[in-house]
Amino acid sequence: MAGVAGGNDFQWCFSQVKGAIDEDVAEADIISTVEFNYSGELLATGDKGGRVVIFQHEQESKSRPHLRGEYNVYSTFQSHEPEFDYLKSLEIEEKINKIRWLPQQNAAHFLLSTNDKTIKLWKISERDKRAEGYNLKDEDGRLRDPFRITSLRVPVLMPMDLMVEASPRRIFANAHTYHINSISVNSDHETYLSADDLRINLWHLEITDRSFNIVDIKPANMEELTEVITAAECHPHQCNVFVYSSSKGTIRLCDMRAAALCDRHSKFFEEPEDPSSRSFFSEIISSISDVKFSHSGRYMMTRDYLSVKVWDLNMENRPVETYQVHEYLRSKLCSLYENDCIFDKFECCWNGSDSAIMTGSYNNFFRMFDRNTRRDITLEASRESSKPRATLKPRKVSTGGKRKKDEISVDSLDFNKKILHTAWHPKDNVIAVAATNNLYIFQDKIN
Amino acid sequence: MITKGQKRKYSPEEVEATDRSNPIWESQRQFVFSVSLNKYQRGQELPEPSLRRSVLIANTLRQMSLEFCNAPAEDEVPPDSSLSGPEEVQQESPSNKIPSAKHHPAQVVTNSSSALTTCSGVSSLHSSHYAAAAISSILTALDSNIEESPQAVQRTPFQSLENLSRSSEGSATWVKQGVRGFVGNLEEWDECRVRENQMEVTRSAYLTDFTVEDLFQDIDTSLLDKDKLFGLRGCGVGHPAGDDLPRYLLPISPSASSSQYLSNQNLKCLPSFSSFGPLSSSPASLPTIFSPSSSLFPGQNQGLDLEHLMEILVES
Repeated sequence: MAGVAGGNDFQWCFSQVKGAIDEDVAEADIISTVEFNYSGELLATGDKGGRVVIFQHEQESKSRPHLRGEYNVYSTFQSHEPEFDYLKSLEIEEKINKIRWLPQQNAAHFLLSTNDKTIKLWKISERDKRAEGYNLKDEDGRLRDPFRITSLRVPVLMPMDLMVEASPRRIFANAHTYHINSISVNSDHETYLSADDLRINLWHLEITDRSFNIVDIKPANMEELTEVITAAECHPHQCNVFVYSSSKGTIRLCDMRAAALCDRHSKFFEEPEDPSSRSFFSEIISSISDVKFSHSGRYMMTRDYLSVKVWDLNMENRPVETYQVHEYLRSKLCSLYENDCIFDKFECCWNGSDSAIMTGSYNNFFRMFDRNTRRDITLEASRESSKPRATLKPRKVSTGGKRKKDEISVDSLDFNKKILHTAWHPKDNVIAVAATNNLYIFQDKIN
Repeated sequence: MITKGQKRKYSPEEVEATDRSNPIWESQRQFVFSVSLNKYQRGQELPEPSLRRSVLIANTLRQMSLEFCNAPAEDEVPPDSSLSGPEEVQQESPSNKIPSAKHHPAQVVTNSSSALTTCSGVSSLHSSHYAAAAISSILTALDSNIEESPQAVQRTPFQSLENLSRSSEGSATWVKQGVRGFVGNLEEWDECRVRENQMEVTRSAYLTDFTVEDLFQDIDTSLLDKDKLFGLRGCGVGHPAGDDLPRYLLPISPSASSSQYLSNQNLKCLPSFSSFGPLSSSPASLPTIFSPSSSLFPGQNQGLDLEHLMEILVES
């Protein structure tokens, strides 16, 4: 697979954008998660209104072979509704925090979607035939008069317009006191884990009334709480291994074979802090917002506020690679703390071959880093550069006093336009970038 | 820039900011402290504030309190203090945490708390005790412990069901938790406050809620309604959590005068994780942590002073 930007033979270009163009963005339309399925054929998005929209990749048309094919709406359904916790007198948001696809095992597709409290397993199936010629009812559904039935006929299957149905098959509820931040399907395809601020539970996909608590960092005395769980993920190949990250910038790898309760980690990943760069916000910016295993399973990637780090699972004391996402914000941390941007949780993702990584930034910028060539690129998801097959122009933020022509100064960045969620196709160079209420799809330019 | 295993670069813009003797650092510290308090209070007004955010803000305040405790005072800090400078403390805290974190996640939190008690000097020690206790009060209400508590509880800010000792007396039980933070010589506490007097109330454009004039104005109106101060109010949906803030922010100081205290408010107002404690529907079973009780301190006037001060923050 080609890397991020390898000279003249590889460039990113605009493919599609989904969502309203209106300047006034409805809160419910803000995209909160993006995820490709295992084959890349389906792309799911969740929003703050609790809806899930699934796009399907259509095959390239013969008349336009230079295009990879487009993603069109495949199914839309309301996954979660706002609920009211009568015990706490609190409203539970319907915002979809995460979507994770299950590996496809038959014609139907399954995905897990979660809000703050409840995880649901959805089955998305197609129906393109229907039976006609029932004996007891007419075609419009009305019951036939039994006395008028004089002969017996066998119903036949007739083709119909494709209908995609989404039905909730399992609802995993009442297992999390705190807000769920992560779900991850295990490689055994039978279990999955869900993580909230203080606990991680292990579920079986078939059993909804029970879950195993495998990590609990809640202190006996809540006064002593100084650390929360921020993300968790199962190892892609070893079904007994998972990792979880914390608000203090640490990652713990746990082995479920060691004990039923994985409070004692097997490996502890932390980079020693540079004392010279310490500030009031050192801990806040070290808080890890996302952790992702590489497809190979040998590395994992963590995202904190200013950087992305690649860790070798065999080395705990420091990451093997560190990429600065927007180092120019380090001198602005005070302002970013004041306007709450410092608490933004950016996600990160690998490409299919683990040769490149991608993460979002502000001003609708997103960054890609090629691990092999050591090149990085900053691109922007904007309507202005949304012409079909238009090549994306690299963007640059000027940090010095002199600003070049095409550069943008740090003070001109729009911190309301933040790209928190991105996804990379598991096989091709196709990326999905969520910019507030719009979903941008970019692909490499086939020359 | 892509580098392998590179630690954070030492930014030249940060030189002055990290130099504790630099006035820029001091002003930034005050600003961050004030913003943190403001941020926390506003966060508590939300129906369900984010636990991660609250923990990060509390840790930031804890760190600033720790650094302040270890700042050399004018006429204090014995020469043989174990901690000679802020850098050592800063390095000591992470070193305290890192080894313990390798063993057990829960141990990290206890060591972080214990780091607060390593301040040098008598007054700074007491101040750190106060800071630790104040931050403890923050976290007592963290737990939304439906699982532990079989009884449906009414949501009252700054309470943790797990740490509650149920009592029909609304203000009696708090003594166990609140007094802990204020043990020690009151004179020592006054010394600490004298040091803290040196810090000016930061007036920043960002702080729309904490100007001193507003607070003084609130004093007058607060005299009319003393019922708000003691006891618990019914907490239904939409109960403003910020109204209970002053009960947990003000230290109990019988010798404090209103104006003197207000000038130190930015130091005293450490946040409390209020909204993480869904609480019983019976108000009597939920004592407030730091609600002042005239039974503890002699003198009705002192109680009234406390009433005024707490009412100020209620209104703010």
